[in-house]
Amino acid sequence: MNRLTFLLARRGRTGAGRGWHWTDVVTWVWLIGGTVLMFGPALWLVSSSLKGPAQLAEFPPTLLPYVQETAQVEGYDAPLPLYRATAEDGETRVLAEIRRVGTNAQMIDPAAPDERLNVNIADREPLRRLGIAADNYVAPLVANDFLRYLWNSVFVTVMATLITLVTNSMAAFALSKYRFRGRDAVMLLIVATLMVPLSVILVPLYSVVNATGLLGSLWGVILPTVATPTGVFLLRQYMLTIPDELLEAARMDHASEWQIYWRIVLPLAAPALAVLAIFSVVWRWNDFLWPLIVLSRRETYTLQVGLNTYAGELNVQWHYILAMTVVTMIPVVLVFVFLQRFITTGIAGAGIK
Amino acid sequence: MGRIQLHGITRSFAGTEVIHGVDLAVEDGELVVFVGPSGCGKSTLLRLIAGLDRPTTGRVEIDGRDVTRVSAADRGLAMVFQSYALYPHMTVRQNLSFGLENTRMPKAEIAARVDEAARMLEIGELLSRRPTQLSGGQRQRVAIGRAIVREPLAFLLDEPLSNLDAELRVSMRAELAALHDRLGTTMIYVTHDQVEAMTLADRIVVLRAGRVEQVDTPLGLFNRPGNLFVAGFIGAPNMNLFRTRAEGGVAELPGGLKVDARGAGEVTVGIRPQHLHLADGGEAALEGTVRLVEALGTETVVHAAAADGTALVTVLPGQAAVRPGETIRLAPDRAALHLFDADGRRME
Repeated sequence: MNRLTFLLARRGRTGAGRGWHWTDVVTWVWLIGGTVLMFGPALWLVSSSLKGPAQLAEFPPTLLPYVQETAQVEGYDAPLPLYRATAEDGETRVLAEIRRVGTNAQMIDPAAPDERLNVNIADREPLRRLGIAADNYVAPLVANDFLRYLWNSVFVTVMATLITLVTNSMAAFALSKYRFRGRDAVMLLIVATLMVPLSVILVPLYSVVNATGLLGSLWGVILPTVATPTGVFLLRQYMLTIPDELLEAARMDHASEWQIYWRIVLPLAAPALAVLAIFSVVWRWNDFLWPLIVLSRRETYTLQVGLNTYAGELNVQWHYILAMTVVTMIPVVLVFVFLQRFITTGIAGAGIK
Repeated sequence: MGRIQLHGITRSFAGTEVIHGVDLAVEDGELVVFVGPSGCGKSTLLRLIAGLDRPTTGRVEIDGRDVTRVSAADRGLAMVFQSYALYPHMTVRQNLSFGLENTRMPKAEIAARVDEAARMLEIGELLSRRPTQLSGGQRQRVAIGRAIVREPLAFLLDEPLSNLDAELRVSMRAELAALHDRLGTTMIYVTHDQVEAMTLADRIVVLRAGRVEQVDTPLGLFNRPGNLFVAGFIGAPNMNLFRTRAEGGVAELPGGLKVDARGAGEVTVGIRPQHLHLADGGEAALEGTVRLVEALGTETVVHAAAADGTALVTVLPGQAAVRPGETIRLAPDRAALHLFDADGRRME
């Protein structure tokens, strides 16, 4: 109840929550507008992914997914789609369509299958009910190996993220907590690589991956991506805030440098690691260009590359693309839901002062 | 055993020497306090002893063993940091046992030592908490506990009380003194607070700008400061210092008061505020106009200025009836005068 009052709180004319102040109106319009803008496309995607190919091509589009009603008619093997036809005298009847010829459709009454009727397609309307085209999901996942792609994507994302976290945090630890000649130069060099886009190094990177025999394997997708300048920079900046006294205390406590890294610095850098983990998962999950180049066999495709196979030169299978896009979205959404709170919690520095 | 010796220690940072050849011996079981103004190198010196930093030249010896190149962990010392440096992601118990686990000590012994330290420091109920859930004083105890469980040759304490409020500081000071008595372990204590130094120390090392100015017992420093810096630094309020010239064994202070001074030439006469009393009628005395009176109840601190502007500070016993603007005549306790030569060194 209190939460509800909090949610519906208004500034009001006197500030006591009565009436609508113009700031209330602006706030509500702004927030609702923002919500629609943010969630609209995602919801539209989900709802569209449940529509059949014919309904997707329809104009104007419908908000909710519908399926055509069908009826089993004696003498016909397949179920026939049902339509509501309007006769010339204004009478409407529910008829099943046998076939369509030009602008006319041959229809029969399911109750009296012997009589064939010719109906102009302008005079009939499909009979539909709310329902989902589950086949959009079932067909790719079962028949088209999408589960395999899903597994590949999960493997690439998890391995790349783990290796990214370990290697980047090691580099960040050295660059933030050790003093050595050329430290700043190394840092500068790492950050400078931020300015080099993938498309520039695509060809040499391909040569390297080819020479190391990783072409066509998932490790060829994983390994070139694990050293990220963003990750090193992000972790280093965070580790700089971990007081040196903690490390010195650990050193006095007989901790080896590895233990200092593993038992002191890593746990304290957890918020930054969570941020990098989120970044890394989203990057690797959404990677398209590099996997497309490295992976050549269907069995090794990741989801994003797999999605691409539905967009042919002549025919784009939108219903499959939409459905599988929803599938690809789910893990990223989950990552955000579960790791988001880590971003806001800082635990380092709590034991100091 | 915990005998620590420093031989000709120097330390430079980026070409600037901050410690200039320190020689020092800390005897086993002694509580030695390093005191000095900020930036005098006392914390640096402690870090050199701890092994967290290496001297540029010179040797550190513990029980006669040269440990200059030995790592911090292997010197057998324990340190309490100014910020406590407790591991924020571990419970108090984990904080205490971390150092012992690293030495692969059996679990049962770790538990026994932690429980013993917790009992000694009365932090038994806090063992499952995290440092964030502790008050400043409790964190301080945990930090000390982390040093105790190691059973070190010596404790190094870097301004351990500076983050506590005044009241807690006094009680923790007493507890630290009691702890030292009970453990009998060598302690080196760094502070800039001379009250802490005077109350805790067996011996005090006064440092200034990377040099040892004097090493002595607290009362030795108070009664016989070796130079002008120590004279001005130890004792509150600060010693009154008068620069003057001595001729024929006599030096004249502002106001015409004559005191004995051996030798001739420039000298500085020092009189502690406690060694000035209100002069009787005919007694030769310093004269000054009262500027400020601080009545503390048990004593009264009077700030005055002589005719030539020289500051005079005196501590009068009890609640003296002195008001700002009055002229007072102060006579020194002639046996307690301090005399320094032109270079600031004590003259006997």
